[in-house]
Amino acid sequence: MAKQSLSFALEPRASASFDDYVVDVAWSPDGQSFAIAGGEGKVALARTGADSLTVETVGEHLLGTLSIAWQPHGAVFATSGQDSNVVLWDGASGKELKRWKPGPTPTQALSFAPTGEVLAAAAGKIVTLWSPVGEKIHAFAPAATSAVALAFDRPGTDLGVALNGELAVHRIEKSRYETRRYKWPAACLTVNFSGNGRFLASGMADGSLHFWNRSTGKDSQMRGYDGRLELVGWSDNSRYLASSAGNEVVLWDFSGKGPEGTRPIVLNGHTERVDSFAWQPSGEHLVSAGRDWRLTLWRPAKAKQPIDVQMLDSDVSVVRWSPDGKRLVAGEKQGRLTVFELVSR
Amino acid sequence: MSVTPSRVPVTVLTGFLGSGKTTLLNRILSEKHGKRIAVIENEFGEVGVDHQLVIGAEEELFETNNGCICCTVRGDLIRILGQLMKRRDRFDYIIIETTGMADPGPVAQTFFLDDELKNQFSLDAIVTMVDAKHFEQHVDELNEPAEQVAFADLVLLNKTDLVDAAALERIERRIRAINGTAKIHRTKNADVAIDKVLNVGAFDLQRALAVDGAFLEPEYPFEWGGVYQLTPGDYLLRTAGEHDHHAHHEHGPGCNHDHDHDHEHGHTHEDLDVVVLPLTAATAEALEAAIEPAVRAFAEPATVVPCHGVLDAAPSHNAIDISHPGADFGLTIDKPGAYALFCEHHPLEFGLHLAGQRLVAERKFASHHHEDDISSIGISDPRALDPTKLNQWLDYLLKTRGQDIFRMKGVLNVKGEDRRQVFHGVHMMFDAQAERPWGSTPRMNSLVFIGRGLDRAELEAGFESAVAK
Repeated sequence: MAKQSLSFALEPRASASFDDYVVDVAWSPDGQSFAIAGGEGKVALARTGADSLTVETVGEHLLGTLSIAWQPHGAVFATSGQDSNVVLWDGASGKELKRWKPGPTPTQALSFAPTGEVLAAAAGKIVTLWSPVGEKIHAFAPAATSAVALAFDRPGTDLGVALNGELAVHRIEKSRYETRRYKWPAACLTVNFSGNGRFLASGMADGSLHFWNRSTGKDSQMRGYDGRLELVGWSDNSRYLASSAGNEVVLWDFSGKGPEGTRPIVLNGHTERVDSFAWQPSGEHLVSAGRDWRLTLWRPAKAKQPIDVQMLDSDVSVVRWSPDGKRLVAGEKQGRLTVFELVSR
Repeated sequence: MSVTPSRVPVTVLTGFLGSGKTTLLNRILSEKHGKRIAVIENEFGEVGVDHQLVIGAEEELFETNNGCICCTVRGDLIRILGQLMKRRDRFDYIIIETTGMADPGPVAQTFFLDDELKNQFSLDAIVTMVDAKHFEQHVDELNEPAEQVAFADLVLLNKTDLVDAAALERIERRIRAINGTAKIHRTKNADVAIDKVLNVGAFDLQRALAVDGAFLEPEYPFEWGGVYQLTPGDYLLRTAGEHDHHAHHEHGPGCNHDHDHDHEHGHTHEDLDVVVLPLTAATAEALEAAIEPAVRAFAEPATVVPCHGVLDAAPSHNAIDISHPGADFGLTIDKPGAYALFCEHHPLEFGLHLAGQRLVAERKFASHHHEDDISSIGISDPRALDPTKLNQWLDYLLKTRGQDIFRMKGVLNVKGEDRRQVFHGVHMMFDAQAERPWGSTPRMNSLVFIGRGLDRAELEAGFESAVAK
């Protein structure tokens, strides 16, 4: 008899060490390399082979790297740091292309539009737009509070900004800019557009998850998190909104009538705090990892139990899928980076 | 799996502009103490000094509880602290400097916000620097200096070389009146041993109530009592300074202008409550025996005595108007003998004296009664508390008065619990846990509240409601 469904697992392929705390990584569009942001300030470029991984430190932000983003369809990546600089790097050579200060305060978040033509930067109360070669396109009027997170929607026409008391969504159309505000009296820590464009979600400092239906403006609030909610992410198909503020990953199911009035799916597979999770691009898998050194693979539509667990060498600070959804990298607090491949068995 | 690392201690450094915070920080950063210290400042521009790190912050506040100002924390601080933890070698210590005008509440509350922050950082102490030269002026004109003192675990009374001994005494008393539990160190040019400022463990629940013993002594409505031997006749009670008639009193003879009018002209009207009592003898013992009658006299309504007015015959409660320097008040004595003068504040503060008369004996009293509306109230009581009623009381108290209660700490004797229950709070946010067993030590509740407009009767009634029956 043929198997009813394929079973998946993660297999380690290669690992390498980086001389810094791994804050975040950003894959190149071709999935052949990724850039690494270090908590003490190092910036590195990693190149992957079938069973190899090399890491080369290419530069530094004094006092710490805050954000990293790779240009979609492009060959450059950008970093920002505690030194208030934004730096554009050549993704092939690792050469620094341009370094500038968008404002007096450090740039907390960077995000490329999905087209790759615009880089948004949030420095304190000011959000600016830049070309991929670092020319200023636009500066939005200063917000009342600091922007802590940025995200474009899938078409790249809307830029969401997480602020204290609201999500501001800037419409960017041929040099015309309009802003719509989604208000809620708490500090927004994340901004998350669903892939289908219907919802806008935000993790809040008051330990709640808030989401708005973008066509009706109706908003809903999910309470009960242990603390600040900083990890929020939509599944690629917009069905699940995952969130975590502790040892569990909490999923809200947006199929059918939506999650209002329902109990969430709770994924229990970690004994310590989850510090990162990521949904598989063009797929249904979710990986989560954190302070219990475990990398846990889930397929929530099929099972509420982990389908694979891999042990790493220290606290895992970040997990990121390659753009094709076939590989992923886990970065650790102690600097180790491990590339896994998703295999069927 | 991972071993929970020890928490990074944090000192919050507050103080009014020019009080010497920067001098102290520079001392701490330049001294060889082998610690890796990160300083979070309220200014931009970042410098790394050897192993030290100085990061600018924006003082961005956010409310964690819809619209409640006492549930306000510092968003920028959370981000910076998160960033500081993204290092393989952690900092040994974090110092957060606030701006001169800042309310230290939101900074302190940030560390109570959630388990993640509580597990990573331990608030060591709130250190408030006070500029001895300007404190009295600032505290009279603005709210912030008194609030900063109210929040403090440790007060550095700085620039002591710029004022005289009497002023220092006066300022210390004023600080003590606002905050009955803070330690006070006198410093010149912010010169203080680092171990007196860092790692003092003031928020350590085990040491939560290493309170100045005098604070829990009974309090009196007066700070000073003095003994005089007097013969029948007219006496003058005077304050220091030259009386400038023209500058202040344009309303005619006898200075019997009304006080409302006075206020309109922008004068600060200041009363000092005094009681004169006959004593059985001119001795310290007789003064001691007069405390009870003096307390009773202070409880009576006061008669306001204008400048150049005459005090009511003893014993009675007078409020003498000492707004102007060199004020004087008549006192007529009919019978020879010993008399006590009790004063709301130490007479040294105003140079108040009975002209030409020698002081035979005197005594200072613990008083928390002061014109500052911020004060400390301590409750000390051995009776066991009912845990449910205790929670109800504290819940209600924080909901209704959380905004006014800056600091609250206590060691509690809870019925059915072998260990000391210790709690520590800033406004409405607090941390509580069971500590060491009582063992053979007598069980005793000790609570301290520091806040604005605190009502002792209300707090005592609340405490009473929590006593186990």
